[in-house]
Amino acid sequence: MYEYIVEMRNITKRFPGIVANDNITIQIKKGEIYAILGENGAGKSTLMSILFGMYEPDEGEIWIRGERVKILSPNHAAKLNIGMVHQHFKLVHNYTVTENIILGMEPIRKLGGLIPYVDIKGANKNIAELSKKYGLQVDPTQKIEDMNVSLQQRVEILKMLYREAEILIFDEPTALLTPQETDYLLDIIEELRKGGKTIILISHKLEEIKRVADRCAILRKGKLIDVLDVKETSTKTMANLMVGREVSLEIEKKPAKFGPVVLEVDNLRVKNQEKVEVVKNVSFKIHKGEVFAIAGVAGNGQVEIADAIAGLTEIDGGSIKLNGVDISKYSIRERTIEGISYIPEDRQSYGLILDFSLGENLALKDYYKEPFCHKGVLNKDAINEYGNKLIEKYDIRSSLGVNTQVRQMSGGNQQKAIVAREIELDSPLMIFVQPTRGLDIGAIENIRKMIIEERDKGKAILLVSLELDEIMSIADTIGIIFNGEIQKIAPAEELTTKEVGEYMMGVTA
Amino acid sequence: MSEKNMDKRKGNTFNRVILKLLGNEKWQHLTIPIFLIFLSFIAASIIILSLGKNPLGAFYNLLQGAGILPKPSYAGYKSMLTDFLSLLNYMTPMIFASLAVAIALKGGLFNIGVSGQMLLAGFFATILIGYSELNWVIAKPLVLLIGIIAGGILGGLIGFLKYKFNINEVVSSIMFNYIIQYVLSFFIHSYYIDPVSRQSKYINDAARLTLVNVELINLKMDISIGFVIAIILAIVLKQFFDKSRIGFEIKAVGANSKGAKYAGINVGKTMILTMVLSGIFSGLAGVTYYLGYFASIQPKTLPSVGFDGIAVALLGNTNPYGIIGASFIISIIDRGSTYMSSMAGVRKEIASVITGMILLFSACSAYIQYRIRAKKDSLAFMAGREAEE
Repeated sequence: MYEYIVEMRNITKRFPGIVANDNITIQIKKGEIYAILGENGAGKSTLMSILFGMYEPDEGEIWIRGERVKILSPNHAAKLNIGMVHQHFKLVHNYTVTENIILGMEPIRKLGGLIPYVDIKGANKNIAELSKKYGLQVDPTQKIEDMNVSLQQRVEILKMLYREAEILIFDEPTALLTPQETDYLLDIIEELRKGGKTIILISHKLEEIKRVADRCAILRKGKLIDVLDVKETSTKTMANLMVGREVSLEIEKKPAKFGPVVLEVDNLRVKNQEKVEVVKNVSFKIHKGEVFAIAGVAGNGQVEIADAIAGLTEIDGGSIKLNGVDISKYSIRERTIEGISYIPEDRQSYGLILDFSLGENLALKDYYKEPFCHKGVLNKDAINEYGNKLIEKYDIRSSLGVNTQVRQMSGGNQQKAIVAREIELDSPLMIFVQPTRGLDIGAIENIRKMIIEERDKGKAILLVSLELDEIMSIADTIGIIFNGEIQKIAPAEELTTKEVGEYMMGVTA
Repeated sequence: MSEKNMDKRKGNTFNRVILKLLGNEKWQHLTIPIFLIFLSFIAASIIILSLGKNPLGAFYNLLQGAGILPKPSYAGYKSMLTDFLSLLNYMTPMIFASLAVAIALKGGLFNIGVSGQMLLAGFFATILIGYSELNWVIAKPLVLLIGIIAGGILGGLIGFLKYKFNINEVVSSIMFNYIIQYVLSFFIHSYYIDPVSRQSKYINDAARLTLVNVELINLKMDISIGFVIAIILAIVLKQFFDKSRIGFEIKAVGANSKGAKYAGINVGKTMILTMVLSGIFSGLAGVTYYLGYFASIQPKTLPSVGFDGIAVALLGNTNPYGIIGASFIISIIDRGSTYMSSMAGVRKEIASVITGMILLFSACSAYIQYRIRAKKDSLAFMAGREAEE
């Protein structure tokens, strides 16, 4: 018998310019929920990618069930009964649940003993049974494109189970889920453990780890800091170890002082590309010095509202007034000039031009103005000087300063760059969509503080977030959206997290 | 020190020499292509060797044929200089065509219709100016102007179709290639054909962008006016993309059209503008080809240089200066191949093999750059380790 089901000994993995894993050793017992905690770029995903056969370690050994192995590919990992649910799901969208699950290992039967065919019906039945066994309700004949994120995740879990995985790796599984869905997932994880599986949970959310995990390895900047018994450690200690300093997510907030109305959205209607109405007669007002948050489950129209205000999506009806001027016919640039800053949800495809330098990206909304551009000729010196100013002010870290290609930067610093650029526009209205998504605690703390600072300077702020904690901690007014309609608008003090969650699910009509 | 470690050391020394040669990142955009071209020639040498011929001799003949090195003997009124000038003449349309492809690529578009745009520009310049009796002072600028207008309009149309109806520019430009090729061939056959050569009638020398058989220092030379214009425009284009606001916008749309839209750039307008610019360079390629290198149009045939331009633009890394260099190298191989085959007894097609190999290797340049960085990092890391020990 072996003592540890998974042992990674002295793993080192280098990428150009960085040591992602520096001599890391972890030992995981069978039937344990083992959490790996760390900020973005701490090396969690790299370590697990090594275990899953996506990278080869430069140094170190992997032992599975007491035997030394070299894991060459994800297929090889699957043969060793290792399964992984990635942060971004790997599903074929126009295939059904069953088709996705059996893909690559289709059960073949022979018609009349001769003509081979894929036994979909049998597979459907097997998968229905499997989903019942672990409480993962899905309809095996449903297509992935018709399912929400939470259901898609269940499919990913079923895929691992169908492949008889015993060591299950979850990479940030709750990043895209609502509070209720998160609860449900954590229940399933505990259920799986009872079924004898070993679970590795990559996360930077302390509450989840506290709730389900037995032990927790903390990584920081590629190094293993400590392995802790979760039951005996406070979340505060874990947070401090993870970040390497004292952190606090309790934002100190002065009471809001509302000024005149800055943004007035009246009966806004937006249709998506398939001509389906995704925003239905939405009306709200945001005042000077107010943080107005839209809470809702992903895909209920909140991003479309933000896009419509910023001008990225055409509106189907209604009006958008900024300081009393109807801007619904304005171009994107005209709206920026009129006074809108926008931090978009998708920072890599909208917020930045990844192949451009950091300096160019920091000037992306002003490049055509003096002093950056004179008579159609760009002034690189002025652009870089401005870039250096922002890099210092907002502590944006990169290897080559203004000349760094943004693609080479970490997600957190990319987000900092966008936030820096948009705040510096000094617009009366600032739209933040998921401003802290995927960021680590230190960065989250900073961005939330900045939002409050801007509010106190008298800006009107529209915050769209899927994180209820975030909304509860910084919003002055909360509007809850479900299925494209605003269910409720109320001051933040008058709502509890539970109530907001219920409105988000459309339970309270 | 153990034997294994010694081996490792040796390997490192070799690596270090290669790394040193390839220089730091600032120079790599230059050193890596040269290294790759060198590799292609080594690969070609192996092929020539396997045919039982001397590769160095063959390459020497290649350079002689292209006018880079002197041949042992020349016909009357010819010399290395005349060969070299013909090389420049041959190279001119290639530079323009590659620049046209590069402009579109910078803007995230793929202009595979350079050939069609060349043909259209060449045709209009030929029938409007080529057959007229205008004085050269007026004729030559007008030829250029017509090339610019015809190419620009067709390019712009392709861009407009993409913007207005979301028709993929690759599809529409291939279709335009066919339409232009056959419609123009109908007109050439009906009105402008020379019954003997089966091509369009020769244009007047006044309209030609290459001065042919200029007698100077007892030589008869072909001097390409287009070449000078090509070099000037390549320099202008480089500045345009590096420094101008519009160049920045084109690059932004090309790198990330969603991001460009978000930044407030009018993506549709920029796309059309990109294609107009690309079309203008195609048009210039057309007039320097049909009214420069040649003086007539072969009906029902698209100029292959329009397609070669795609490869040359990629080899030159869509950098105008890189494109001049890439055109130069590819032209040498093209132009020198006949002489090489007659002198060294190596088949002419070997030249195409070399070209193919250069393009193949150049497609790997990003990978090589990545390897260099990885290697440097691991060397630095090991050096650090050793120092620690």
